[in-house]
This record gives sequence, structure tokens and C-alpha cells, in this order.
Amino acid sequence: MYNLPDEKEYLNPNMSYSSQNLEPILGRTSLMGSFNSANSSLPLTFEIVNARYGDGRPVTDLFQTKPTYVWVDAYDGTETSLEAIEAKRKLEEHPLFEVRPSGQFIMWAAATEDLVAPRPKDSSDLVQNVRFFDLKISNSGGETLIRDFQVRPWLERAYEPSTDINPYTGGPAPDPRDPLNPDKQNYIRPALSNVIGVQSKRALVSNDQQKDVIAFIREVPGGTGNTIRVKVLDKDTIPIAPALFNETNWDLQVHGFNKTITTEYVQYDVAYPIPLVDIPTKYTVNGNARFNLRYSRRDLGGSRTIASIALEFKIFRKGDWEVVFQFINDNPKFEDE
Amino acid sequence: MSSNLTKLDIMRRFLWILCLWYCSACLSIAYAQTEKVTVSGIVTDEQNQSLPGVTVFSGSPLRAIGSTTAKGSYSVTIDRGAVIVFRYLGYLERRITHNGRQRTIDIKMQVDNNQLQEVQVVVRGYVQRSKELSTGSSFTISGKEIQEVPVANVEQLLQGRVPGLNIQNNTGAPGFRGSTQVRGLSTMTVTGSGSESFLQPTSPLYVIDGVPLDADKASEFGFQQQGPGMSPLSLIPQEDIESIEILKDAQATSMYGSRAAYGVIIITTKRGNSPVPRVRYIGNAFMKTPPMLRETLGGNLERQFKIQQILGNAIGMKDIYAISQTPFLSDSLNAYYNNSTNWQDIFYRTTYNQTHNVAIDGGNQKLNYKANIGYFGEKGVIQNTGFQRFNLNTRMEFRPSERFAFSGTVYGQIGKQNKGNGVGLLQQGVANNGQASTLLPGPSFFQSSSGVASSLRTNNDNSTRNLRTNIDANFMVIEGLRLTTNLSYDFSSNLEDTFTPAAANNQFARVYAFNGRDYQLYNRNSINYSKTFNEKHNFFINAFSEIYKKGTQNSITRQDKSPNDQFQGPWGFDAWASRGGGVLTNFKDARQASFAGSLSYDFMRKYIIDLSYRLDGDSGSGIDNPYSKNPAIGLRWNFNKEKWFENSEWLNLGALRLSWGKNIVPSTNLEVIYGKYNIGGMYNNVQGIGIDYRIIPNPTLKPVTTEQFNLGVDLSLFGNKIDLIYDTYYKDVSNLLFERYLPNTSAFDILLSNDASIVNYGHEVSLTIRPLPASSKFNWSFTINGAYNRDVLTGLPAEYNGQFIQWADPNDAYRQHIAKRIGRNALSNYLRINDGVYSHHGDVPVDPVTGKRYQTNGRYFEAGDPILRDLNGDFILDDFDYALTGNSQPLFTGGIYSTLSYGQWSVAIYTSFTAKRTVLNNALSDRLSLMRDPFALDANAGPRAVVPLNSIDMWMQPGDISKYPYAYDYTRYNSILPFRPDQTLWEEDGTYLKINSVILSYMFTKRFAQNLGLNNIKIYLSTENLHTFSRYSGPNPENVTNMGRDVSGGYPVPRTYNIGVNVDF
Repeated sequence: MYNLPDEKEYLNPNMSYSSQNLEPILGRTSLMGSFNSANSSLPLTFEIVNARYGDGRPVTDLFQTKPTYVWVDAYDGTETSLEAIEAKRKLEEHPLFEVRPSGQFIMWAAATEDLVAPRPKDSSDLVQNVRFFDLKISNSGGETLIRDFQVRPWLERAYEPSTDINPYTGGPAPDPRDPLNPDKQNYIRPALSNVIGVQSKRALVSNDQQKDVIAFIREVPGGTGNTIRVKVLDKDTIPIAPALFNETNWDLQVHGFNKTITTEYVQYDVAYPIPLVDIPTKYTVNGNARFNLRYSRRDLGGSRTIASIALEFKIFRKGDWEVVFQFINDNPKFEDE
Repeated sequence: MSSNLTKLDIMRRFLWILCLWYCSACLSIAYAQTEKVTVSGIVTDEQNQSLPGVTVFSGSPLRAIGSTTAKGSYSVTIDRGAVIVFRYLGYLERRITHNGRQRTIDIKMQVDNNQLQEVQVVVRGYVQRSKELSTGSSFTISGKEIQEVPVANVEQLLQGRVPGLNIQNNTGAPGFRGSTQVRGLSTMTVTGSGSESFLQPTSPLYVIDGVPLDADKASEFGFQQQGPGMSPLSLIPQEDIESIEILKDAQATSMYGSRAAYGVIIITTKRGNSPVPRVRYIGNAFMKTPPMLRETLGGNLERQFKIQQILGNAIGMKDIYAISQTPFLSDSLNAYYNNSTNWQDIFYRTTYNQTHNVAIDGGNQKLNYKANIGYFGEKGVIQNTGFQRFNLNTRMEFRPSERFAFSGTVYGQIGKQNKGNGVGLLQQGVANNGQASTLLPGPSFFQSSSGVASSLRTNNDNSTRNLRTNIDANFMVIEGLRLTTNLSYDFSSNLEDTFTPAAANNQFARVYAFNGRDYQLYNRNSINYSKTFNEKHNFFINAFSEIYKKGTQNSITRQDKSPNDQFQGPWGFDAWASRGGGVLTNFKDARQASFAGSLSYDFMRKYIIDLSYRLDGDSGSGIDNPYSKNPAIGLRWNFNKEKWFENSEWLNLGALRLSWGKNIVPSTNLEVIYGKYNIGGMYNNVQGIGIDYRIIPNPTLKPVTTEQFNLGVDLSLFGNKIDLIYDTYYKDVSNLLFERYLPNTSAFDILLSNDASIVNYGHEVSLTIRPLPASSKFNWSFTINGAYNRDVLTGLPAEYNGQFIQWADPNDAYRQHIAKRIGRNALSNYLRINDGVYSHHGDVPVDPVTGKRYQTNGRYFEAGDPILRDLNGDFILDDFDYALTGNSQPLFTGGIYSTLSYGQWSVAIYTSFTAKRTVLNNALSDRLSLMRDPFALDANAGPRAVVPLNSIDMWMQPGDISKYPYAYDYTRYNSILPFRPDQTLWEEDGTYLKINSVILSYMFTKRFAQNLGLNNIKIYLSTENLHTFSRYSGPNPENVTNMGRDVSGGYPVPRTYNIGVNVDF
């Protein structure tokens, strides 16, 4: 009536991201971007525009749609079967890289090395290899553009800890003590506690100087694609019977089903990735799954001591995986003193 | 052709007859005029109380021919058959036509609550004018209407009486005033934070007997005020008020200068008006009761409740073990923990109070005098608070001839106030202690907690001593030309002494002393001239100059550590124990000079035009914009005087008003314009003086401009049975000051600029119905008035791009932010949106990407937690999930009142309403969060009381659909914060209808009074704040801050029951 200004949604041109360099690791779902909406009216609409390489070629590989898992219900670690877990998620078609209404960028787990080229293996950083895009942000009050986001994906590392993988090449990681020696490499090191060597009669350790035990996370061929097993190999690479780890609670190792204990390994049917969701459950420690193999023996002086060999880990790619603890120099002592 | 001729013939003949009849009629009147007759009688009001000083008029034009005596009798000589007119301020005019034989005519006059009477006088630019000729929008309340309810501050009785005057009696603190706004928002400046956000008061300018007075003086610091904080209005005794006029539009206020942008309220005190000296006594005895207090579970019930809460919500054995480690839960046999103390009872009380007022007046037109001696005492419903007022007001008027008049007034007023340990408006200490666990022992001879000691044993003594003198002389040089001079001096001394005993302050007693003085010297010289040409063209010219000299100086002293509680001062200076003090920053030494002129012209009182202009120069404005300017134009058309309504039966009065005015005020101070130097530390043994880097000087600041249009209609219909006043207005407040934050590279923090603006528009209606005829024994009138005001923010500094969020202090417990967005109401809340309560665990949304439930502070939401909308969609409730909501200012305000009298009896009921306003129920938020920790091991808070929550619609088990989240899950409380104050769960509609007062009075018969040797006796029963109808779930939707926040530490508004007597000797 009085020709007063109408209320409209507020769009602050000072909206920003704390970083515009996105460096997701391929093969796992990454949620990136710390967006400051600067009091703009929410929700906002985000649109990725002008995706291009540094030399102007258009980028298309990021936006191909593939089926990927999305959660529809809350996984909480109390599910009693694989079906119950699968009922809480479903496959949906999504662009491999997208932005959601919160302003966060998602690189879905379906984005694998063969679909999206990672950064060059020679660790060069040439502008023509970098993917750029601009982000259009709008609400009914207007729109603004944030320019020049960079996407520089790392190649896949199917598991963590990945200290044995060179993140640039995918090959073996150099030994931190002797990085230029091509004959040496770094390994995954388990946590050892009270594990006494049969011959050395000392506590076995695994660190940069001395590796009495190392661990491997590796795929075994010929499975259903939904299994994980844990195996301990002595210094002669002969499996140690799981029964010797007499204090181990095999039901709380991973959130798996159909536990199979053989003389060589213990195997579970599981849903990948492991762990499924980064929440505390009875199967996780610090957001990681873990194998914690424990045994007890009578110590010098007659007290009972509990030894453990453990690894906290994550596995991102579906498959038949095994976690192997390999004794190098000495075998663990199971006998009482 | 022939038929036409015949018609003409008939007409001519008819005209002849008419002429003859008219001449004879004139002759007969001329004949009658020659014969004089003496008529006498008694003039009384509706309650048969005689009215002295009623002026009796007769003749054409009307001339005063006499007035009534102290007993209300008169005797005048008139022409036989003439019309006699009786006029008395505050009463309806009575016109009686002498029937030729009458010797005695007794007159009963009706109280005038009619806004539209022609005789009604309004004040414009300090000059009385007939309401009929006024083009501006104003409203008058007679002093009679505000006598029968004793109040400390007369302003609170105006609530709901004047359309467009929004009064919220939002504090019950004795001697303090609520908030008053005329026609919506005039500022956006909000100080303080969260729950204690305080909108800068923009009270109207008060003009008391021609002398302007700043009513906001005491409240400029908001809640954290220093000094007595007594409103100057609290010093005016209601018994001494003759009338109050509220000026609303720019035309009406234009002559009052800079402060008039917020409206003007003119208070006229009583003057002598009785040939025989007359003594009147008014006494009231009244009881104040606190409102219903919080229900609390006492004693063992509290203990059992807490243990059950722990058992029901513990997450591990640790919690269960903790019961046995918490003595007040487990050690029920310990006498210290085995009590049932009603803490609220210790702090709240019912009080009995009284007021006495004696008014003496006498004299005649030539010399009259009045004196008013009064006492008002009110003990607050919170212990250790109260207000007392003593006043002695005198006035003398001397009019030796028609041409010269002189009057002098002296008002002496003392206000004494006790704020306890609160700051007046807030009693945070009491609110906090009132929540203590009932298991603890109450205060006794042997022990008392420091909170109790500070609330009950703090000696707080505030006093304001105010002396106002005023002399006014006017002289008529020639017919129509009058010179007036007015000189007044107003001095107040404000003192506050607070002694906090050692027990209340970590074993060290403390004194706080405030010493302030204010003065205002004021002079006005005016000249006005009225002239009529050809009995049709009337001119009125009014010009005056005003000079103010104002000063304020306040200083404080704070000292800790006295030898003991008995020695309360004077203490020697000791830098170790001194806690600072000195002169406060509101020091003022200001001058103002103003010139104003107005010209009114009317044609046969039918078409009126008013032009006025005022210029103010203020020593506080900068060099670039030193003057405030107030031009105004008003037009009025009294259409009932037009020919086509001449014989109208139904239209008694009809007028159309249109006005425009501008008020341009330099709203800054010298500090903002020129910057400030601060005295800093010593450098090389030399006193360092450096620039104050907070505000960058801005010499180009423009004055704040208020532009207002007003269109009004006045109608009086069916023999004054229906009065209707309608006004609509558009008020544009532009160039408002706004703090712009500067980049940190610029050395200064803030640039004040003029880039904000608000528009208020609205409608005001007042409808009065007097359905019964004047001859009826019943006298009944019914009035409804209402105002709709909408404020819209229309401008903000450009870099804010249309929105500004005023974030609450991060340390504030109530993180309730204020949002200002263009196109919306100027003051919105910025809160988290509450969508209810999660009924089931599965209702909590899951992030499809991470698989995690919606979370906050690292905790996942569960069933029973509030649904706080995840506005940005990241499945984490964080600092971005806020939205604009609500309107802290009401859209509708008004009132309904009715008076009915019959014979000696009369009854009146006054109500007021406020509607469509968002109130944040922080009191409920505080109450529910009392359950947050049943152990309450926190040393500062101590154990807390338990309140029954049965009546609350609360989630208790999965499947419950409820409004309020689960209160008892204490283990997750601090992460989920289900009762966080910054959510819309607390936003409620603050609509209410309040019965302000109900008054029943009885006037004893004259005979009875005279038997007692008295002239009149009247007794009355009245109540104040009787009941509030509201859907609001908190205690009182009015007892909230002017930002609509229900602070639980606020001072509750008590209910008053009064019995009063009014005696004329």
C-alpha cells in the first residue's frame, strides 16, 4: 500500500568455504567442505557450474552417475544379520561428485580409479591436470558465485591404516628409516602388548626400528565378496591356531555373522565398508574396526598375564579380505612360565 | 408557461410570509431581551457532589456571567428566556433554555469522557486552543478518571485508554515505569544481550504545566542503570492531576521540538478553583499481593523425586553410586538436609500500604491558590524493596485585571526507593535463590546463605529530591495580542547508598554510593495574536522562543572491606579496597535555544489551516547539522457546519483532519561527531592521553528525520450518543543511527552512520457509546479503542545487504539473537526452529552419506529430544541453523472500558489488550531446566528445587506426541540442551486482555455528609491488575521486557486491592 520494500530471503555475498581445495581419496565416500552461510536464509540451492580442467577442457568424468550406497535408516551395530544391515541402506544412482543442500561436497565410494583419474602418479601438480569448478549459490533473495574450487583426488587406498601404500603411486610405501632404498618398504604395524618371544624371551615390538610383527590387509581370491578373516602366521608363515588366543572374544571382533573358526583362521560374513558407519559401537574403537587377539599365560612370579596383538583398521572396498599378523623374528610364547 | 408563473407567485408569497414571521420572531426576542430575571440553583455532578467554580455563561455571544460557590450554588441575572450555558473543565457542557418562569435551575453535569466536545481545550505549542480548531491528532483524559487506583506512576493508568499509546506495565518494581510508545517503533537500538536485551526507550516528551521533562532520564542505561533510576513521572501525585493530553501526530507535536518525535504527553495539574477555601482529603489503603508463584515439591517429596529421576535415567552404575555420595539425597536423617523450606515465601510477600493526600484550594478569578500535600507508600512484593513519595505542590495565580495574569508554582517532591540487591527492573538474586532446594534449611539466626543475605540484608537507600519551580506571566497588550513569559527551574538530587553486609559478599562488606544531580533552567517567551475579520476570517499567530540550560553530573564510589557490618561508613579512602568510581559518562552540560512559530487560519470555524515551524539549536549537535527543524501543516474541515448538515438530527460533530509534519533531530552527541580522548596510563611519568578507538568520529552525521502523515475523522452522532475517532498514519523514521563494524585494519571499531530507517503505519479507532438518554437515572458509557501498528524496516547500511544479525553475547546463557531484515518487522528473533519432539528413535533423520543420525555437540538425537530444524541440511545442529522468526513488538493494542453510575453508586471497569506479539517464555525454559542435574554438585548453583511438571505436555515414552521434550534425562542434558532458550519452542503469542481495574464507589448523600460536618464523602473500592486473560503459558505476558522476553528475574507485577476515601471539608 505504501510501496514499502518486500521482505525477501537474505543472501550474503560473503558466504565462503574454509578451503576450496578438495582432495578426496577415491573409492570411499568423502564429505568435504566447511561452508559458512554467513546468516543467509536457509536452505540454499547449490549448483556446480563450469567444471573444467585448468586448460579449459570440460570435466565430465566426475559427474557420471553410478549406483552407490546411501543410508536410509540408522545403522547402530545391533543388527543381527547381513539382511538387516542391507535393509538400512540402498543403492541409488548418484553423480560420482555432487554438492548437497548443506553446501558439502560428496565424492561417493563408487568413484573408483577407473572412473575418475586420480592425480598423476609422478606427483606433478600441473594446472591442466587439476579439475576446477565454480559454485552457484542461490535462494529466492538472489544468487552468488564462488569461483575456482579445485578437485585433486588421491588414488584409491582400499584400507586404513595404509602405511604400506605409497599414496602417489599405489605401490609399496618407502621405509621411513630408509626412504630411498627400493628394497625396503613400510608395513602396517599392529599393537602388541605382553607378547613374549619364544626364543628372545623379550616383549616383541613393532615400530620403525624393529618389526617383530607386521600386519597385512589383503584380498583373498575366491570368496563371496562379503567375508573377512583374521589369521596369524608365525615366523615360518605357518598359521597359528586361533584357539591359542584363548582370551579372545571372537563375537566382538567385527560386526560379522556366520563366524567360522578353523585351525588357520577365523572368518566372518560382513557388510562392507568396515566399519559401516563412523559411530561408536561395541565393534569399534576410535571409529575403526579392530581385531584384538588375546591370550593369557602364567607369568614369571606366577601371576596371570594377558597378552594381546591388535590392529585397528578400516576397509572401504567390498571383497574377501583378510587381516594377517605375521611374526617375523620370533614366535609368541603361549606357554606358562 | 402559466403554471410556471403560478409557481413563482406561490413562492413569492411564501417568502413574504416567512419574512414577516421572521421579523415578528425577532421583535419578540428583542422584546424578551429587555426583561431580566435572576436565576439560582445548585450545580452537582452525577454523584450529587457539588461542583464549585463552574462558569455560567449567557448572552450572544456567550459571556461569563458568574460561577458557582464552594457549595456549588450560583445565582445569575439573565434575560428572560435566554440560554444558560454551564461549563466546567472535565465535564460536558450543559445548555438550558430558560422557560421564562424558572427561578431555580439545578444542574447536574456529566463527566466528560467525550473527546470531541467543542468546548474541549487542547494545548498546542503551550497555548490552549479549542479542540474544534485543532488539526492534529490528540486525546485527552480527565484527571478524574485516574484518581481511584493508587499507583506510584500515573502513566500506568493510561494503559488501554488512548488509541496508539502503547503502555506495557512490564515491571512491578515500585517506582519504576514500564515502556511507553506512541505509534510504534522509533528506534532499533537494542542494548544488552539475550534475555536482558533492552530496546532503547523512546518515551514521549512530557510537558508538565508548560515545562518539558525528559521521562527517559532514569532509564538511559537500560537494565544496568546506576543511581536511583526513579522515573520523574513517579514523582507526580495522581491526585494533583487535572488532565492529561496525548499528542500523537506530527502537527500536534511540531511545536515541541526535538524530543517530540516520540509524541507528547501534556499533564496539567490542578489549580485553585473555589471562592471559599476548600480542603479535600484523599486516602487509600491498599494491599499488594504477589502473583501466583512457582509450584515446588517440598522436602522428602523433592528427595524422592530426584532419586527416582536418577534411577530412571542413569546410564551406568556410576550414577547409582553417586546417590550415596550426595549427602542431600542419601543422608535424609541429617537435620541440615531434612527440611521443607519454601524459599519463595522468604522473598515474596503481601504488603499493606497507604497513601494520603490533602489538597487545599481557594480564591477567585483574581487571586487563587492551591496546595497539594501528599504521601504515597508502597512496599514491594519482593522483600527489601519499596517506594515512597512525599510531595508538596503549591500554585498561586494572580490576575489583577483581564489583561495581566501571573502564576507561580513550586513543586517539592521526594522519592525514596529501595531496590534491594537487584537493579530495580531485575531481581536476579531473588529469582536465583527462590529456586534453591527445599531440603536446605531456611535462613535463621545461626546461618544464612550469601544469596539470602544479599537479597534481604542489603541496605539500599535511594532517594530523589526534586524541586520544580515555575513562574508564568502574561500580559495582553491590545485586544488579541498577548505576551507570555515562563521561567522554570527544575533541580533533582539523586542519591543511592547501598551497603552489602559481609555475609553477602565473601566476608567483605561493601558500600556503593551514587551521587547525582540534574538541573534544567528553562525560559520561554511567547507572543500570540488572534484577530477576526468580518466575523468570518479568524487568524491566530503564536510565536515563541525557548532556552534550555541543562546539566547532569553523576558520580559513584565503591569501596570493599569494612571492619564490620555495624560500621557502614564513612570509610577512608584506601586504594587497596577501592573498587573504582568517579564521574559517570552521562555527564552533561548542554544548552538549547529554539524558535517556533505557528499560524492558524479558519473560515467561520469551518475550514482550518495550521502552519507551524520550529527550529532547535542544541549544543550537543555538530557544526555541520546544528539545527533540528520541525515544519508541519494541518488541515481540518468541520463538515457538520456545512449547510447540508445544518439541520441534521444525527450529526452533532463531524470533522476531517489531514496533517503532515517533519521532525528533524540531530540525535548524536559531540563524542560521536568529534571523537573522544581518553585518559590512559602514565608514560615516562607523564599522564598519557590517547584517542578512544571505539567509534570513529563522523562529522557528517545527518539528523534523524521523522516524517508523519495523519488522516483523521471525528464523528459525534445521535446527540453525542456515539463518538467515533479514527486516525490513520504513516510515519517514516529515517537516518537512524546504525553501528557499522569496520575492518580491523582501520584502527577504529565502529562507524556510526545514518543508513537505517523504519516505517510505521497503522490505524487507530476510538468508539464511545452512551446509549442512555441524558435524563436517565443511569449514566452509562462504553468505550472501545484500538490501534494497529505495523513497523517495517526499510533501510540498513549497504554492506549488510538487507539483513543484520545482532548476536547475543557468546557468554550469555540465553542465546537469543535479534535479527533486522529489510521489508520485515524491524525487530525479529533469530532462533532455532522447533518442530516438536522426536516420538520414536526412528524419527531422528539419518544422513544418507555418513549413515549418522542427526546430532549436536557430538551427541545423537534420540526419542524425547526436541526436533530442531536442520536448516542447512548437514545433519548437525550447529551455529548456522538459525532462522528469522517472530515479532517482538505488538501489532494491536487498545482497551475497553465502561462506567456506569446510578444515584450515589458508580462502577467502572477498565481493561486493556495487546495482541499479536511474540513473547519468549524464558521463565518456562528456566523452570524446565531445573531438572537438568538432580545431583547439582555444582558449587555455585547448589541443589535446585524440583517443580511438578505434570501439567506440561511432555514426552515421557516412545510414541508420545508432545510439545515439550523430555526433561529428566540429565546425563545427556548438557549436550542436547533440550530446553535451550534459543529455540522457537519458547515463542508464544503474547496476546492478552487484562482487567486493569475495577472501581466501585459510593457517594454519601449530602445530608449524611453534612451531619458529619463535612461537605462530601465518597468511598470506593478498587483493584488494579485484577486478572489477565491469555493463552500464554508463562505467568504474565505483559511482565516481559520491551523485546518480548519473559525474564524469570523480572519483578512480578502485583495485584492491588484498595479501599479509598475522598472527603471534602
